[in-house]
Amino acid sequence: MSDTILALNGVSKTFSGKPAVRDVSFTVERGQITGFLGPNGAGKTTSLRMALGILTPDRGEVSLFGGPPRPGALDRVGFLPEERGIYRKMKVIDVIVFFARLKGVSPAEARKRGLAMLEEFGLSEVAESKVKTLSKGMAQKVQIISTLVHEPEFIILDEPFSGLDPVNQYALEQVVRKQAQAGRTVLFSTHVMEHAERLCDKIVLIAKGRKAFDGTVAQALGQVPRRVTLEIVSGHDLAQVLAGKGEVHREQQGEHDVWIVDLASGVDAQDVLKACVDADVKLTRFEPMRAHLHDAFVHLVGQDAAAPEAETV
Amino acid sequence: MRNIYLIARREFLSYVATWGFWLSLLSVPFFMALGFGMPILIESSQPTRYYVLVDETGGRLEQAVYEQIDRSREEEAERVREAASEMLGNNPQVEAALDNSLQLEDDSYVRVDAGTTDLNELRPYLTGAAELDTDEGPQPLFAAIYLSEPVPGRIEMAYWSTNLTDSRLRGDIRTALRDYMQLRYLVENGVDPVLIDDAEDLDPVVRELNPERTADAAEITEGERLPIFVGVGTAFGLWIVIFSVVNMLLTAMIEEKGNKVLEMMLASARHHEILIGKLLGVAAVSATLLLFWGGLASIGGLGAQQIMAAADIPAADIMAALFDPALIGPAIGYFIVGYLMYGAVFLAIGSLCETIQDAQTLMSPMMLVMMMPLFLVMMAIDAPDSPIVAVASWVPLWTPFIMLVRLPQDIGMVDVIGTTLAMIATAAAVIWGAGVLFRMGALNQANQDTVRGWFKLGGKKKA
Repeated sequence: MSDTILALNGVSKTFSGKPAVRDVSFTVERGQITGFLGPNGAGKTTSLRMALGILTPDRGEVSLFGGPPRPGALDRVGFLPEERGIYRKMKVIDVIVFFARLKGVSPAEARKRGLAMLEEFGLSEVAESKVKTLSKGMAQKVQIISTLVHEPEFIILDEPFSGLDPVNQYALEQVVRKQAQAGRTVLFSTHVMEHAERLCDKIVLIAKGRKAFDGTVAQALGQVPRRVTLEIVSGHDLAQVLAGKGEVHREQQGEHDVWIVDLASGVDAQDVLKACVDADVKLTRFEPMRAHLHDAFVHLVGQDAAAPEAETV
Repeated sequence: MRNIYLIARREFLSYVATWGFWLSLLSVPFFMALGFGMPILIESSQPTRYYVLVDETGGRLEQAVYEQIDRSREEEAERVREAASEMLGNNPQVEAALDNSLQLEDDSYVRVDAGTTDLNELRPYLTGAAELDTDEGPQPLFAAIYLSEPVPGRIEMAYWSTNLTDSRLRGDIRTALRDYMQLRYLVENGVDPVLIDDAEDLDPVVRELNPERTADAAEITEGERLPIFVGVGTAFGLWIVIFSVVNMLLTAMIEEKGNKVLEMMLASARHHEILIGKLLGVAAVSATLLLFWGGLASIGGLGAQQIMAAADIPAADIMAALFDPALIGPAIGYFIVGYLMYGAVFLAIGSLCETIQDAQTLMSPMMLVMMMPLFLVMMAIDAPDSPIVAVASWVPLWTPFIMLVRLPQDIGMVDVIGTTLAMIATAAAVIWGAGVLFRMGALNQANQDTVRGWFKLGGKKKA
């Protein structure tokens, strides 16, 4: 069995002459949680639609479970779109059974699984209620259940955290983790880097329709210069004290006169601290800065490309 | 196929679960029953009108009025008997039934003696301030009628009543007086009353004949005209059903788009599966309605057939016209193709719109297209061989309606086969185009402004 669940190979898509996705290639490997990151309008949703065969690429190829995204392959995928909604006039359990049956689950099995998942999500008491009577959070949970009820091998979530309050965001993170622990492959898009940093084994960064990075979170963070901020009262010239430790420059931050050290490769914050102590520098501030995915993203694509674009698709 | 079935099933069940469906299902037989029963109900519920008639000529005009009214009723009854005989043949049982119903006296208006003929004394009864003592208990006076002839040859009627709308009594008496005056004028000028009676009975014998048949079988019967009326009725029925069903599709599509369900559906089913599933689901709704109504109509038809058979009426001819396979077969075919054409267009419109208000802009031209066959069918009733009707039947969007009217008229096979092929080809093209639009609309890649833009672009090009 191939370990590559999804492969986009040089896909491009243009709408009304405006390129939405340009020559994007990446793979999603079995059992991994892959984050598909980028600002609004970067081309994430278009790429995911092409991955599912909802849109046909103008150029390039999509391979889902080793072949084109055909109905048989789609039965093995659970997809939660960015624009979320379900049939408001149907009963909760009927909605879940309907979507499960579209994926090939038998009516009895769909109902059994649906009721079990409603129980798991704390919604068993609304199983026979109409969707329109539910709160927004409950309705979103019902949609997540509808996405997962057929026990898909591959789960695609398009901006799953948008519109959720912090409690439900945390709950959804737990759901994603649990699915991954059960051996399922997860690909989710987001423009909020914190979720990806916490969840992902691998990330794909996209900006202005082009792929900017493809690798592990650690590899992405490794792209960002590590930095230490220092304040001193002893009048030393830290450029001399820390020579060879990295790029040192001085800057005014409000009323504070601070030194910034961008660490050289192989040098860590402890080496800087030791050099300062050895030189008898009187430190009032020693602040090693931990890089985040957002920093990596900005570093990789530049500030302009990291800004959101008007969503066209 | 699985997805098409599941989507169609969901659509069907979502409609069947609504109040609107059950109201539609039951409203047609209810209103038909009401339509048949209403005249009887109105007739039976109308209160008896009591009136006073004062003949100031000493009874001469009064006698003339009642004689004339009786004569008019007999003439009316005779006309009904003749019409029934022409349609149903000579049948003693039918004639007996007609005699029984036509000879009933009109008891809606009852002449009373109020004890006075003075208008001032009758006025309180006319205005409702006082009531007459009748067999039904106290009742108001409906009218006080004074007949006079102040100058020889000039007859006058003074009709006092507060009821301005019920004019039947006034009209009957006026007609009777006019006939009396005309008759008296002729008699006074030397015309023999027997001659006048004979003259009134004169009527030409008109025979309608079909030149395509031999002389002995050329006469056209009323039964032969039935298929044309059945065709017109079927065309109107087809229009009403298609119109109501495609509106269901439109609102369902807009609702689904508003609920943002489509993208989730698209991850499980392809565009064409959703489109066809929805079309079939709503078609199943209309089929349920038609089967129910058709079932009721068949039960009613069988009942009517048995009644007619018992009365030796040629029921077979009438039923054959109503349930002619040559008409029912094409009607089913035209319904399916017409429904698919209009349904696909309305689904595509729905997929482009977020709200009903959005849809109205795009609906207007479609409504005009749909209204045209109604006018043409009406035109075809009087002039079925009109070139306009013939040409219009070749417009594929109108073919299903107009051909139903043309089919009973022995039109050439070229017209039948040609219009059918053009209609099927157009239906296929429309469904394909609607599928493309649906695909774009479902993913918000097109909306009603896009369509408007196409037309503007076309306009600029022409300019």
